[in-house]
Amino acid sequence: MSKPKVGIFGFTGCGGCQLEILNLEDQLLDLVAAIDLVHFTEAITEHSDNYDIALVEGAITTRHGVERIEKIGKIAKIIVAIGSCAVNGGLNCLKNLYGTAKAKELVYGDKKDWIDSIDVKPVDAYVKVDYYARGCPPNRFEIVDIIRSLIVGRKPEIPNYPVCVECKRNGNTCVFELGMTCLGPVTRAGCNSRCPNSGSGCDGCRGLIDEPNVNAQKDLLKKYGLTVEDMVDRFNLYNACREKNIAEKVTGGN
Amino acid sequence: MLYKVLEKNGYRDFVKSLISGFEFIGPVKKDRAVHDFKVIKDFKELDTAYIRTTIPPAKKILFPPDEELVCYEIGENIDVKPVVESGEKILFAINAWDINGMNFLDRVFTTDFIDDNYKAKRDKLIVIGMDTEPAETNFSPSVGAEFATGGFDLYMHDIGDRYFIRVATARGDGLLKRYAVVKDAERNDFKEYDRYMDNYRGRFKLDVDIKSFYDDFEVIYDKKEFWENAAKDCYSCGSCNLVCPTCFCFNVKDDMELNLKKGEKTREWDSCMIPDYGLVAGGHNFRPTKENRLKQRYRCKLKTFKEKYDRYACVGCGRCIEACLANINIAEDINSVKKEVSA
Ligand code: SF4
Ligand code: SF4
Repeated sequence: MSKPKVGIFGFTGCGGCQLEILNLEDQLLDLVAAIDLVHFTEAITEHSDNYDIALVEGAITTRHGVERIEKIGKIAKIIVAIGSCAVNGGLNCLKNLYGTAKAKELVYGDKKDWIDSIDVKPVDAYVKVDYYARGCPPNRFEIVDIIRSLIVGRKPEIPNYPVCVECKRNGNTCVFELGMTCLGPVTRAGCNSRCPNSGSGCDGCRGLIDEPNVNAQKDLLKKYGLTVEDMVDRFNLYNACREKNIAEKVTGGN
Repeated sequence: MLYKVLEKNGYRDFVKSLISGFEFIGPVKKDRAVHDFKVIKDFKELDTAYIRTTIPPAKKILFPPDEELVCYEIGENIDVKPVVESGEKILFAINAWDINGMNFLDRVFTTDFIDDNYKAKRDKLIVIGMDTEPAETNFSPSVGAEFATGGFDLYMHDIGDRYFIRVATARGDGLLKRYAVVKDAERNDFKEYDRYMDNYRGRFKLDVDIKSFYDDFEVIYDKKEFWENAAKDCYSCGSCNLVCPTCFCFNVKDDMELNLKKGEKTREWDSCMIPDYGLVAGGHNFRPTKENRLKQRYRCKLKTFKEKYDRYACVGCGRCIEACLANINIAEDINSVKKEVSA
């Protein structure tokens, strides 16, 4: 793909993923030179419906959103979901846990029927997603790597190993040893272990690796005298849409 | 080997002058759990009474987690340049098993192929060893690694009111001549040193039956249940490899700039315990399951290199035991082979 036409679109989320692209600073000029940017919700006013690659931020939470993503799905040859909300539904999924109807009632009271709000789903619930730039926020260098790989025609290297690998490369002391909980052993790396680097446990924002050993988490909790609730809350923060039965596995179903 | 004695009251001045004269890397307390080897500028930071470090010092210094190997520019021609970084450094207070780990890496990186990046760093590294208290997970004596016969310039044993120093290189001797007031060891010093070593060896409490593991490995090789059970809780997280002083596997990555004109190739630590390690083009994976991978890890450490170099690719430091959140324990697994075979 010599100079692909790229659109960057936003759905439900905080907008931080698009901001991460703007945060590229040193690489931003090279990036816009390497692609033909036809839409970027957060940064440009121009718009065209002619694009090859769509970078999609945010979860799908409204009927209008469903229409928009389906349209993108028809136009784009390649869709890249960027950020936890697009990839897994992200924090928005807490609404599903609570109950969409109940949440609408609580927030909008008797005006609830005016509001277009449906159960939260990740982007790939509606369209085929080719690549995932995970994380909250995503790793901007990984976004660049995906775009570069598409230009030169090779497969992007997205780690399929847990955060522990990066933690060790960074020489971190395991946060379990410091008395905290961590989802690192089952969470996909690629963030350069940024939370453990600053002394707090991983929240699992990049989602699970392909073959997570969630059963072993139980023994782990026991070893460090931690509660199951800690772990389930942690899992749900970013992964409630995707990993419904994870919580059951971790608690052994009770 | 020369044998010298340094009085304790001369220790501080010796070390201080090394700190001011060289890039000096030594153990520093990092947090409640571990020490870390860092560049030290002030004598007060140095804490040689350490028990655990997460990452072995030599691995960090000689074989860093991320290392640029070549850089290239694509113009009319493709211009490729090797990147070899090294500088003279002192590595201070590294213990015997970690020196032996480094000696193992020396073999790996200079036997079939000379790794210029590793060798340049190693040649310029001045190594001063010191004994440390073994952790309860340490089984170095079982693999013959609690004492280093080489791979260092100086080795300082604390025998009470003085240090008994083994001088292995002219470079080490030069350091003592220039920066310390030492005298030749005498009979009495040797006697004290022997007594000290007997006592030191007695402080290692964990024993593993490495010989029977080696002899019986082929017998249990195909016992699926044994391996399934051993690897059942494994997260495939690679921590055991990444903290190991002898693990040397790496992955080379291509980092090209977005303008597609310039780039670099870097290597990063890899791990045979993660699923993609055995994945090849076309999608086949040679070691698709965690029990395949654990078995291979043990075979590499305790069998393959024993046959190849006549030394284990394990120095018994116990770091992998401490790092494993799934409680997978190489010492217990070695011992359980004997039970399994005799059962
Ligand atoms: S550290 Fe433990 S859980 Fe992680 S890969 Fe090694 S054996 Fe498996
Ligand atoms: S295999 Fe484990 S005990 Fe042996 S050297 Fe490596 S980290 Fe240390």
